[in-house]
Amino acid sequence: MTAPLDVSGTELEAAPEAVLAGAQGKAIQGRSLGQIAWMRLKRDKVALTGAGVVIFLILVAVFAPLIVGWLGHPPNDFNQDLISSETLAPKDGTGIGWDHLFGVEPVNGRDLFSRIVYGARISLLIAFLATLLSVAIGTILGVMAGYLGGWVDSVISKAMDVFLAFPLLVFAIALAGIVPDSAFGLSGDALRVSLLVFIIGFFNWPYIGRIMRGQTLSLREREFIDAARSLGARGPYIIFREMLPNLMAPILIYATLLIPTNIVFEAALSFLGVGVRPPTATWGGMLSDAVRFYTIPHFMFFPGMAIFITVLAFNLLGDGLRDALDPRAR
Amino acid sequence: MVTYIIRRLIWGVVMLAIVSMTTFAIFFLVPRLAGATSDSLAARYVGRTANAEQVKIAAERLGFNDPLIVQYGRFAKGIVVGADYNYGPGVERCPAPCLGYSFLTRLPVWPDLLTRLPVTISLALGAAVIWLIAGVATGVVSALRRGSFFDRASMSIALAGVSLPIFFTGIVSLVLFSYGRPFAITAPGGSFTPFFTNPVQWAYSLLLPWITLAFLYAAGYARLTRSGMLETMNEDYIRTARAKGLTERVVVFKHGLRGALTPILTIFGLDLGLLMGGAVLTESTFSLPGIGKYAIDAITSQDLPKVMGVVLVTAFFVVLANLVVDLLYAVVDPRVRLT
Amino acid sequence: MKRKTTLGVTALGAVLALGLSACGGGGAATPSQSGSAPAGGGAKAEFNAALTQVFNPSDKKGGILKFANAGDWDSLDPADTYYGYSWNFIRLYGRSLVMFKPAPGKESTQLVPDLAETLGVPSDDAKTWTYKLRAGVKFEDGTPITSKDVKYGVLRSLDKEVFPDGYTYFNDTLDLPKDYKGPYKSKGVNTDKAIETPDDQTIVFHLKQAYSGFDYFAQLPATIPVPEAKDTGAKYKEHVISSGPYKFDKNEIGKGFNLVRNDQWDAASDPNRKALPDGYEVTTNVNADDIDNRLLSGDLHVDIAGTGAQPATLGRVLTDPALKANTDNPTITRLWYTSINGNVKPLDNLDCRKAVEYAADKVAYQTAYGGEFSGGQIATSLLPPGIPGHQDINPYPAGADNHGDVTKAKEALTACGQPNGFETNISYRAERPKEKATAEALQQSLAKVGIKLTLKPFPQADYFALYAGKPGYAKDNKLGLAVNGWGADWPDGYGFLQQMVDSRVIRETGGSSNISVRDPEVDKLLDQASLETDVAKREPIWGQIDQKVMDDAYILPGIWAKSLLIRGKGVTNVFYSEATGMYDYLSMGLQ
Repeated sequence: MTAPLDVSGTELEAAPEAVLAGAQGKAIQGRSLGQIAWMRLKRDKVALTGAGVVIFLILVAVFAPLIVGWLGHPPNDFNQDLISSETLAPKDGTGIGWDHLFGVEPVNGRDLFSRIVYGARISLLIAFLATLLSVAIGTILGVMAGYLGGWVDSVISKAMDVFLAFPLLVFAIALAGIVPDSAFGLSGDALRVSLLVFIIGFFNWPYIGRIMRGQTLSLREREFIDAARSLGARGPYIIFREMLPNLMAPILIYATLLIPTNIVFEAALSFLGVGVRPPTATWGGMLSDAVRFYTIPHFMFFPGMAIFITVLAFNLLGDGLRDALDPRAR
Repeated sequence: MVTYIIRRLIWGVVMLAIVSMTTFAIFFLVPRLAGATSDSLAARYVGRTANAEQVKIAAERLGFNDPLIVQYGRFAKGIVVGADYNYGPGVERCPAPCLGYSFLTRLPVWPDLLTRLPVTISLALGAAVIWLIAGVATGVVSALRRGSFFDRASMSIALAGVSLPIFFTGIVSLVLFSYGRPFAITAPGGSFTPFFTNPVQWAYSLLLPWITLAFLYAAGYARLTRSGMLETMNEDYIRTARAKGLTERVVVFKHGLRGALTPILTIFGLDLGLLMGGAVLTESTFSLPGIGKYAIDAITSQDLPKVMGVVLVTAFFVVLANLVVDLLYAVVDPRVRLT
Repeated sequence: MKRKTTLGVTALGAVLALGLSACGGGGAATPSQSGSAPAGGGAKAEFNAALTQVFNPSDKKGGILKFANAGDWDSLDPADTYYGYSWNFIRLYGRSLVMFKPAPGKESTQLVPDLAETLGVPSDDAKTWTYKLRAGVKFEDGTPITSKDVKYGVLRSLDKEVFPDGYTYFNDTLDLPKDYKGPYKSKGVNTDKAIETPDDQTIVFHLKQAYSGFDYFAQLPATIPVPEAKDTGAKYKEHVISSGPYKFDKNEIGKGFNLVRNDQWDAASDPNRKALPDGYEVTTNVNADDIDNRLLSGDLHVDIAGTGAQPATLGRVLTDPALKANTDNPTITRLWYTSINGNVKPLDNLDCRKAVEYAADKVAYQTAYGGEFSGGQIATSLLPPGIPGHQDINPYPAGADNHGDVTKAKEALTACGQPNGFETNISYRAERPKEKATAEALQQSLAKVGIKLTLKPFPQADYFALYAGKPGYAKDNKLGLAVNGWGADWPDGYGFLQQMVDSRVIRETGGSSNISVRDPEVDKLLDQASLETDVAKREPIWGQIDQKVMDDAYILPGIWAKSLLIRGKGVTNVFYSEATGMYDYLSMGLQ
């Protein structure tokens, strides 16, 4: 994360602890911010649990076909022999058993376990890509605003104000609703996923942008930037070589904290029926189906818990990262 | 102070103009990029017996053939002086502020929004009071007893709270407390009673949505307050205050909380502003006939003028809330000078 | 014979009940517990008790009946409403020339005069129909209702630009001046050659060609009188001027409205309406599950949409005998089906369409719509059993267990030249979970023979106007299958079939419900039937049409709908009306 050549804030940040360690009679050892952060994170059991769950979820999403191949049934296959034709509920109430780990859906008897596993793919994919987009736009514009100042700053800041005044959800639903089934050279799931990534990512950048602007503003006044400037460094060099490494910590923190927001956002859009098209499984979509069958609670429980656990894990990890990388921000 | 307010008001109007222009442009352009023509847009407003020629005439009369700028100009003019829509049996008047006219229901949007605002405002304000009190109180106690059981328990609950989507908690709470249960505490389901008609019934029908919504926000506010308090309590001026021999109560509430409250106020303003423009998920989960439900219903029937109206009203509340927050800043934080 | 006995018992029960309530007069009117016999019980609280007889009959006046609607009304304007429940409810504030008899079961399909003194008097060639209005009928403002108000009501309904939701029966059959566009646009045009009003009490309709069933048209809400002076065009729905026993008090479109008594209504002029409650309170856009729960708890009296219990409620109601005893489970005159679009390749080939018919899993179709009780009965052809002319035919048997016949389907595919199947799209209304489930079910069952379906949801509001119902769009976007449904406008072959299979209702600009049946032979049969004045000769023709459309394989019949209706607590005079396919809303009262 931190370049060895980096003579800037890293050492400054590290200095007090290094001195303290030295005072206790140990050999003085230079540690980078990354190392310190990693040490702090290692001690934070809660954050590590979060990280573990996140890694687990990513593996589940990546290897969904394999997992379902071993433990489940194809996510879109019907098992109507398990369903009562009168009440539409699974005949034994849930259908939970070795064959169907999480039971089956009412009406069509699709395997809930494999739909949850496949749902993780859509959820994580959209959340990650959308976060990437927000972070990219937010960082570029935020740093520009903070570093360049003047009219650039005021234009970008005002733009952020405007974006924050948009009723994001209403706008997203309306937009996702009016885009037809094939457009911009894409169709089907690919179009829906790109569309959702764009909508979620594009409207969330001001949150990252504001933080980046603030960070850049404070960095700009620091001595090491002045030093670099007096040595003849130009704007791009200062931004990319001096500032960006110092912004990596906040970027990482807020990206981690934005992912859960985006997961909920995607779930909300699917819940409201403008997400990825059926029969592709999404957690929000399953939840919205489950509402009609609230008397069959396991149907609602599993997608709800999937969203909850995923969001919680990312939040725990994000909090942990913040504590580790930026101890003053507690 | 006065010039500051005037400047902010002007900027607010500019901002609304930008929001409306962007929204208008997007709703104008996206369907067209996706292949809609002015005729296909008009086709849904002319009824089943219309032939192609009648559709063309209707598209012309509804102004769908005009360029984007002209259509936006008409819309903007309508907000200021009202507009006439040449529609059906005669010209329909849409008086100022004409935030659009629905060709589907043949009604101006603004009166619709007015009848729904009380619902949304009741929901937002009630929930805001609950979450502000509960969130800030929890945060303060947690910060003062850092590391205690209360701190850990409440922060865990808060973390769970921010991780639970409202459309999940909403349904769970409906199933547990409302749907045909013996201890049904509320019967929302579109049955909103205005405050002035029957305050008890009003509160009763909103209780469940309030608590559900407040739970989500309170969790976030508790976390914010706690971290804010921890930070301010370490500031030098708090040490000074203690050194002066002030009681702990005064130190915490007069000095500590004041400092911690400032960032919360900013976020509170933005949150409340956005909620005033319609708590989309809460209102649709509890079928409350507010602005958010209106927006969802409008989107379902592809009634874009209504969506435009909601977007503008929401933006208005956000701008207003920001202004109020900035003014309150000066009151709460003596370091802030308005220039 | 059996039926008669039941009726006898009912009457006796009613007498007993009257006696009982007289004795218990003055006691607190507590709502009866579900399961136990209600205080006014003419029929015992049991499953299907209100299907063929009046449940809980009473003449007690007073109270406010509470209705709720999960969706929004299409329109309250008599010229613009096309929902069955709305036609049922509109009789509370409007009187058309003729109406369906407010009586239980089969009797409800009888037409009786309402605003008119008698049913229509046809000329010998059935091209001219004359009605005489009752004397002394007034609007809510006290002005007497004349035949001119009826004529005006019909004429304004012709303007489909102002009233896009309504039917086009009058547009299609009245002998109107050329290019007549309704009273708003064609002001002052003489329309006497279509509708004559020789005096204030008489109205005469002239048709382009003979139509033997004109009384069915005369019961349409468009014949409800509208005072021209008070007509506000598209805004009239905000305050419809009442001619019935109730009038609008408060009306917030999108949220709800309430009705109060209309003091200008005279019971003496109206043998059909009881007008028991003091008013009605209607809430719209209410969560559907909430409606069921409030119905069961007694907070609400009627789920106005009349489409039955939600899936979540099924498990609760069907497994609890006490709750089940307060429900009725009629088969209604509605077919849920899937249109097979012959304009989309390779479905232009009859054998490819047949492959779809054979491969479809009918049980999955039924389950998608709600199973045996709230979904319906598996349909093997178009005409529901309740429509005269229905015959039991099954041209494409879906295998022994109704899960689809893979062998026959593969044979058909081979005959069509697509032995490995083909790819096409299936459209459905995005807001309808049952249609989504149907599309998913068909996707599953057709995949077994190699027919790959891609799901295409479209917004309900524009489904027919812009997407599935617009021939150009459907063809360009290869919407080979379209999930669809049709309920009879009235329980008669014409009312059921005409809008569904007549190829002449298809318009290039979109909007028709028929989106796949294009067969000149079928059109010819329809014309033949509507000219036939002899009922005995007419009814078999409906059966022929059914057979022909099935042979063409333009329609994949899914199920004949059933609904599980919940009787509200404390509601009197509950009975199922076959004409409307739901409870009758005119006679209900409160205990």
